[in-house]
Amino acid sequence: MGKLPPSLRTRNNLALPIRSLVKNVQSSPLESQSQSQSQSQSSSHHTRRKPKLTTQKPPTSITTHPSPPPPITFTSPDISAAKTLFNSLTTTKHSSLINNRFCNAILQSFSSVSSNIQDSIVLLNHITKTYPSFSPDKFTYHILLSQSCKNPNSDLSNVTQTLDLMASNGFQPDKVTTDVAVRALCSTGHEEHAIELIKKLSQVEFTKPDTYTYNFLVKRLVKTRTLSSVSLFIKEMKEGFHVNPDLVTYTILIDNVCNGKNLCEAMRLLDVLKEEGFKPDCYVYNTIMKGYCMLSHGGEVLRVYKKMIEEEIEPDLVTYNTLIYGLSKSGKVKEAIKFLNEMAKTGHFPDVVTYTSLMNGLCREGNALAAIELLGEMESKGCSPNECTYNTLLHGLCKARQLDKGVELYGVMKENDMKLESGSYGTFLRALCRNNRVAEAYEVFDYAIESKSLTDVTAYSTLESTLKWLKKAKEQGLAV
Amino acid sequence: MLPQRMKKAVTDNPKKLATLIDLVNLPSTLREFVGQSQSSRLGCFRRVWSYIKDNNLQDPKNKNIVHCDEKLKSILLGKTQVELAELPMLIKLHFPKGQN
Repeated sequence: MGKLPPSLRTRNNLALPIRSLVKNVQSSPLESQSQSQSQSQSSSHHTRRKPKLTTQKPPTSITTHPSPPPPITFTSPDISAAKTLFNSLTTTKHSSLINNRFCNAILQSFSSVSSNIQDSIVLLNHITKTYPSFSPDKFTYHILLSQSCKNPNSDLSNVTQTLDLMASNGFQPDKVTTDVAVRALCSTGHEEHAIELIKKLSQVEFTKPDTYTYNFLVKRLVKTRTLSSVSLFIKEMKEGFHVNPDLVTYTILIDNVCNGKNLCEAMRLLDVLKEEGFKPDCYVYNTIMKGYCMLSHGGEVLRVYKKMIEEEIEPDLVTYNTLIYGLSKSGKVKEAIKFLNEMAKTGHFPDVVTYTSLMNGLCREGNALAAIELLGEMESKGCSPNECTYNTLLHGLCKARQLDKGVELYGVMKENDMKLESGSYGTFLRALCRNNRVAEAYEVFDYAIESKSLTDVTAYSTLESTLKWLKKAKEQGLAV
Repeated sequence: MLPQRMKKAVTDNPKKLATLIDLVNLPSTLREFVGQSQSSRLGCFRRVWSYIKDNNLQDPKNKNIVHCDEKLKSILLGKTQVELAELPMLIKLHFPKGQN
């Protein structure tokens, strides 16, 4: 970004034409992936390269498949209008290109605006009548099922009806059907119905939910329900239908209790999952570490990490980032910095999150200048700072009474259209006002609203209370 | 990291929030300036602040000071010169407590 040393920038620019010359035919996906990850600088090159790719593509795509007819999007749930629109297609030059996939797309589009499942069935019948070559497949019925699940009746009668329709046309509902239904029900907030349906479908081996469907539902439930009712559901599924929780299920539960800062329960669940014969993996431990981070228990985070190493579980980047974040947050930056080398040894390279956590820790110690130094180091390693990094630094600089550096940093943020977080905004305003730069504070207020960083209410009330605080402090002879 | 005090201050207090964003009937002087019969305190503040910017009323040497023109004077207690820092308080005077 703006702060990148020019030497690095020119080198990148020079390297590019050479690279594109060598690899003008095949650009490996791996390379483009690592490029987009490496830094946002390269993303600008990325866009420059894109046109070349697209000019290459059209000839190949024309020879292999004919271009599909223009997609229809329905805006009205009126069935007769939909029929007319579909009929109009028969007269266009695209009519020869209509295939199963296209018919399904039409049905999908109509069902997304229609609230009446009967209308969709009518349209389906109309399509099959007009195009006898179209044979409804499993997807067709899943579209109908998904629609009926989005507006379920209280007794799920319309859902069962769709399932029956599917079966009577020779498509036995299977695990995919269950998945489609559960996701559609949950997407409209009908978790209660999803539980009911999943229990019903679990009675047949063929439609028993797989672990993805099951875990999806559990994940939704922990967000909307109490832990005890989720446990009850898990128990019922286990005892009634032999659908057992797996390691992912436990991770979801642990994540949920950790977010609620209930580490006690998290540890209990950890014991339970071990009793069940599962070996906790790095995701489970990462989650628990996150829980301790939220409580700012840096020591505990470190303890969990050591336990992981003891149990020979390979830590990943998230492990290290969580560890460094936790240590930094609880004032142990020196210890956190030690892990920078350790993680590099295991092949995990610090990213923007790692560096920002460390900067956060340094700023907490009031050592904002060291944090700025770290910014330089980070950029020299090709890691671009993001909004969060800049906000952390702005906050830190203002706290450490380095207002001029803070204003400079704010200039860079503004240039790059970065948003201000409410915390750094407040600190910045106070620092400006304290230094008798009220007009600049007003300008920051304008920017906060303009850039949609904050609502006008938040931005204004912070400004107002800052000025009030300033007046009081002046009266008492404290400020300036 | 974020200063919790600051964030909680106003937005979490429904009464304080109401005094900021509720539309109220403006007193005649303010009505003329704003050009509307109703406005919120926040809307009014933003109107005055953009008026100052549009008309370059800030002192070129010390931007913290505003030289009021006749129109602005009429709503800011007749002062010829105000500090930006006192602007919110001055506007608040037009919005007494317990109105409505």
